[in-house]
Amino acid sequence: MTESMSAGLAQEVAAAVEQLRRITVQVRTRRAATGAGILWNVAESEGRGLVITNAHVVPGNQATIELNDGCAMRARVVARDSKRDLAALEFEPGPAMVSMVIREPQTLRVGELVIAIGHPGGLVGAAALGIIHGAESAPEGRTPRWIRADVRLAPGFSGGPLADATGRLVGVNTMIQGSLALAVPAAVVEAWVEHSHALVAP
Amino acid sequence: MSTVLQSLSTELADAVETAGRAVVAIHARRRIPASGVHWRPGVVVATHHTINRDENITVTLPDGTTAPATLAGRDPSTDLAVLKLAGQNLPAATLRSGTPPTVGELVIALGRPGPSVTASWGVVSRVDGPWRTWHGAEIDSLLRLDLAIYDGFSGGPLIDAAGRVLGINTSALARGVPVTIPVATVERTVSELLERGSIRRAYLGIGTQPVRVPESLARKLELKSDVALLIVSLESGGPADRDGLLLGDVLLELDGAAVNDPTDVLAKLGGDRVGRPIAARVIRGGQVKTLQLTPGERPTSRAA
Repeated sequence: MTESMSAGLAQEVAAAVEQLRRITVQVRTRRAATGAGILWNVAESEGRGLVITNAHVVPGNQATIELNDGCAMRARVVARDSKRDLAALEFEPGPAMVSMVIREPQTLRVGELVIAIGHPGGLVGAAALGIIHGAESAPEGRTPRWIRADVRLAPGFSGGPLADATGRLVGVNTMIQGSLALAVPAAVVEAWVEHSHALVAP
Repeated sequence: MSTVLQSLSTELADAVETAGRAVVAIHARRRIPASGVHWRPGVVVATHHTINRDENITVTLPDGTTAPATLAGRDPSTDLAVLKLAGQNLPAATLRSGTPPTVGELVIALGRPGPSVTASWGVVSRVDGPWRTWHGAEIDSLLRLDLAIYDGFSGGPLIDAAGRVLGINTSALARGVPVTIPVATVERTVSELLERGSIRRAYLGIGTQPVRVPESLARKLELKSDVALLIVSLESGGPADRDGLLLGDVLLELDGAAVNDPTDVLAKLGGDRVGRPIAARVIRGGQVKTLQLTPGERPTSRAA
């Protein structure tokens, strides 16, 4: 690799991380340590926004979310699924907020680069770079339960995004298994949000 | 828009896909399968420590089908085993044997501990010259890795960013630390195992421990080195026992070369030494004595 290429690579990783930080929030509750969350949907016109995180990050019904720019607000748990370890929080979106873009499912390849953002040990907006380790095999046409990534995570990454090299969401970081990270596939989250959002729609 | 980051991502995935076509799952133990590499047409290389039985071995091919394989031979000292796979139309791995890996080079460890291929990435953390395993095999180059290992990783290939194989990974040669057996060592071992079914190594049937020879004695006997090897175990009826070596002898030299470490003994016991006497200088009862020791062929489980 030439010098200019690795310099370009470093800049691009930094830019991708910066972009992902804007869709990653801190999720704070009194009962659990700070976790991460993803700005899923920010419909300012409707006056409601949605953050997705892990169910284990929000044990109660309320949480405080803090955006990358330091803006904090109250959020309310509107859906929870302990089996999939997912929770949806509703909040009042402010101006100039962006939400994430989902990677098309079924196209993930073993070996491709992934970036995780989280807040390990209170270090806000930390990044980890890794590769897709393997997908759990699933019956034909079904989405696997977990995406396995070879990326070094710590507990504060829970609920945060796992994204590909273009910054599109691949999964929600949920568990650490040995040296591997397990993420709920974005397609699973999407289907779950659609299903449970219908239940909580006003 | 194609950026450097995206190109790298695509290249890594391409490398995994290409090299993964020659990586198979080996079913030869309880619990999870291990990995193997289709090294030459019809020949699969795996690790010895993950093959717990000599028969009823099956492999899962990249297309998901399962095929029977026969064990052609195994070598505990390099932790390699060779399997034969008949009648399969599978590409053989592309080997990189010309340019050795360098420290800091981006590498991927592939495995197939199930139907699909798995990968972890990292860098080569150490490249050194030849080394000897505790079972006595000489490995052409020491390759240590900075990457995460996982269940079923042993027997899989270490590949470069272009998908070329740099060697076979194992966690059994260095106390769980991942090392890669370089292509040259694998090639040599595969050829010998295919030819003979085992790796021929000479042995004496001794266990040794380095000791310091007292300065006065070293001066009196005019020794070149003050460290020698105390014979702490002697296999009853083994080659050294038959040739008159005694427990408590202190081994100074083999074939005129000083021995300071047990690996110095292993270095003298290549396959070509079987049946050819070695001159051994020892201290016995305060006197230097020379014995002729004739190594036998080593049974698979013995070290020196």
